[in-house]
This record gives sequence, C-alpha cells and structure tokens, in this order.
Amino acid sequence: MTAVEPTNATKVRVGDLSVFYGEKQALFGVDLDVPANQVTALIGPSGCGKSTFLRCVNRMNDVIDGCRVTGSILLDGVDVNDRTLDVVQLRARVGMVFQKPNPFPKSVWENVAYGPRIHGIASSHAELDRIVISSLDRAGLLKEVQDRLHEPGTSLSGGQQQRLCIARAIAVSPEVILMDEPCSALDPIATATIEGLIDELREKFTIVIVTHNMQQAARVSQRTAFFHLGEIVEEGETGKIFTNPTDQRTQDYITGRFG
Amino acid sequence: MNRIVDPVLEDLRHRLIKMGALAEAILDKSLRSVWEREPALAREVRIDDLEIDRFDLEIDEGVLRVLATQAPVADDLRNVIAIKMIATDLERVGDLARNIAKSGLRLASRDPVDVSPKLRELAGEAQRLLRHALDSFSDRDAEKAERVLSEDDQVDEDQDVVIREAIEEISARPEASSQEVDFILIAKNLERVADHATNIAEDVILVAQGRNLKHAEKLAG
Repeated sequence: MTAVEPTNATKVRVGDLSVFYGEKQALFGVDLDVPANQVTALIGPSGCGKSTFLRCVNRMNDVIDGCRVTGSILLDGVDVNDRTLDVVQLRARVGMVFQKPNPFPKSVWENVAYGPRIHGIASSHAELDRIVISSLDRAGLLKEVQDRLHEPGTSLSGGQQQRLCIARAIAVSPEVILMDEPCSALDPIATATIEGLIDELREKFTIVIVTHNMQQAARVSQRTAFFHLGEIVEEGETGKIFTNPTDQRTQDYITGRFG
Repeated sequence: MNRIVDPVLEDLRHRLIKMGALAEAILDKSLRSVWEREPALAREVRIDDLEIDRFDLEIDEGVLRVLATQAPVADDLRNVIAIKMIATDLERVGDLARNIAKSGLRLASRDPVDVSPKLRELAGEAQRLLRHALDSFSDRDAEKAERVLSEDDQVDEDQDVVIREAIEEISARPEASSQEVDFILIAKNLERVADHATNIAEDVILVAQGRNLKHAEKLAG
C-alpha cells in the first residue's frame, strides 16, 4: 500500500434507509458508510434495528412477507435493491454468518464445497477441493478437521461448526461478510478464536458484525455504530466510542446504565 | 438502576478522597515543621507518609480489580484511570512533604534564619492549589479544575523570586548558606506540589469532559 492511496474506501454506503414490517417501522432513515477491509460493529439494545439493518445489506429481508425497504444501499456504488440485480449473485458477494452455527446436514467437505459448486466457481473437482481446503485453512479449521473431512459437519464442536460456517461463507470469495452475533452461542475459548479469525479476515473482506457483547465490539471492530429505536445515534471510530462517546445515550448504553 | 460497578467506583473515589485529605495534612505538617522549627513534626511526617503509600497500594489493587472484572468503558473508564493517576500524584505529594520535612529537620538543627515572606506565600499558594484540585475531584467540578490550571503560573513566578532572594542572601551572608539552600529546596518541592495539583485538575477535566489537557501548552508550541 502506498502512502497516498486512500485507505479504506467506502464499501457499502447506506442512505436514508427505512424498513417496515407491515405497519411497524423498524428503521428510520438510517445513514451509514461501511469502510472496506474494516470491521464495523453494530451495537444497541434488542429490537433497535441492527439485525434488520444487517439483513438489508444482502436482501435477506426479501424473504419476509410484508417487509418493505426504502432508501439506498450501495455496494461499490450499485444499489443492492435494484430489481434487475441477481439476488443470488448479491448473496455470493455479501455472505452471512448467523448466531447459531447452522452447518448443512452434509460432510465438512460438502458444506464448504456447496457454495462454489452452485455458483460455478470451480471448473474441476480438483479446483473445488483446493477451494474447500484453502477456505477451511483461512477459517482456522483445517488442522482440526483434515482427518474428518467426510464426517458430518454437525459432528464438530460449536466453535468448530461456527468456523465451518465462516469457511462456507468465504468459499465463494465474498467481498462483505455479515455476522449476526456469531459468538453468542460459543464458549470464551471458541469466541477468542473466532474474534482472532475476524481480525485476520478483514485483510481480505469487509466485515459487519452485530454483537451484544460490548467488549467484543471494542476488541474486534475499527468502527462502531450505536443503534437505538431504529436510528443510528452515533457512529465512529471504536476507540473513541468506548472511551469518549459524544452522545449521552451511547454512554448510557455501553456503560450499562440504559435500562 | 444499580450497576455492579457503581459501589466499586464509589469505594475507590472515597479512598482517593481520604488519601487526598492525608496528603494535604502531611504537606501542612511538613511546612509547620519548617515555620515552627519543630523536629518532632518533621519526624511525624515520615510516619504519616507510610499511610499514604498504603492508600496508594490499596487503590492500585482496586483499580486492577475493577479493570479485570468490570471492564469499564466511557466515563467509567476515564474515572478509573483518573483515580489511578491522581493516586500516583498524591503519593508523590507525600514524598515531597517528606523532602520538606527533611529540610525542616536540618533547619531546626542550625541557627535560625528569617523565612522569606515570599516562601510563605508560595507555600500558601501550593497548598491552596492542592486543596482546590482535590475539591474539584470530590465535587466533580470541571470549572474549579480549570481555575487550578490558570493559577499555576503564579507558583512558578513565586518560586523564581524565592530562589533569587536566597541566592542574594547567600552572597550577602555566606554563614547562612546551608539554610538558604534548604529554602531553595523547599521552594522547588512546593512548585512540584503545585504541578501535581495541576495534574489532578487535568484528570478531573478528563473525567468530566473527555478532554486531555496534559502538556497542552507545551505541545501547542
């Protein structure tokens, strides 16, 4: 990287985003720039709209009846809600990891091979195998599963299953990875492993993570956005947010004064 | 809503306030040992300083514990860090009082020499700054802390005058040289007390407003 190169250009630019579930409005005109190759943490009390926000980025809300989205979400300048856009392609570019590890009821190998295969990324079995192995390796799981590639993914421990899901997400070479409380079902050791992994992955990917764990947000992210009642109250550099937030509501929430 | 961290922080604050009262008292005693030429007071200062050191250790322990168990952030974090930094300043004030008491012991063992009114003024000023800095902490009063910052310059000027006067006295009356050197040392120690008072005031502002004023003037060039 040269000194003059602008670092961390905006990868996802969200403007005036509102989301309605039927009559109920979940997000109210939210603006947020997600910088490339950084981890952006979304924090806020339950029901504040952060998961709704996350699910808009790869149009997961499309599958919810009565859900209506207005405003713009630009991925490298192109609106993801453009109806001519292939949503399957979008989700290959914007992967997702969920709260509870959800491996397919297939082998470890098949779990990771599934995405590249349906997206036609590999031209041969050998190439597919290379993608599976390198994805497991990047997810920090290969050493632990290299002798068990054909055992069911569900036979792994919780932390391993979550890393398998991360391997599955990165196998299709996404640009953005959305993570919805990816460690909330994991023990502290598995959590520390995933957090370390997230930090490594940002070199290649742009990551947006929803977490209820304030210390996790502080540890893994470079930027933090605090959501409250469907709005972003404050967004900024993580170190600043956790030492000297500007808005009293942010302060009250992160220090646990907010009821 | 009561948070687990609240009584822990309150306990640390109380310890620090007590430590501050002790630091003020020990400084006062060390100065009285000089003004009153009273070696017994000077010796008490050494004992009292041990108590300040004990508070310092207790606060260190409490700060480590709250950082490890409560992982404070935002104003809680600034509070904890400020408590730690202020405790260090107060511990130093205790050491400076000991230095002054040592001068007191030496002065009491030698021929009496008139104490310059400027030195008494300087002492009063340093004590006042320390008191106001500690008040600004206990009252969480950033405005009072700002006033401490603006008044530190006077102490520096007074110190210069005391040193100049002492040097003149040494030339005029060489037989009182050792006493005058002790007055210079006392002035130096008082000036450093005022510096610690300034640090404390800066910490109070850091807690209240998240503004770090340390070295602000120097860094501004």
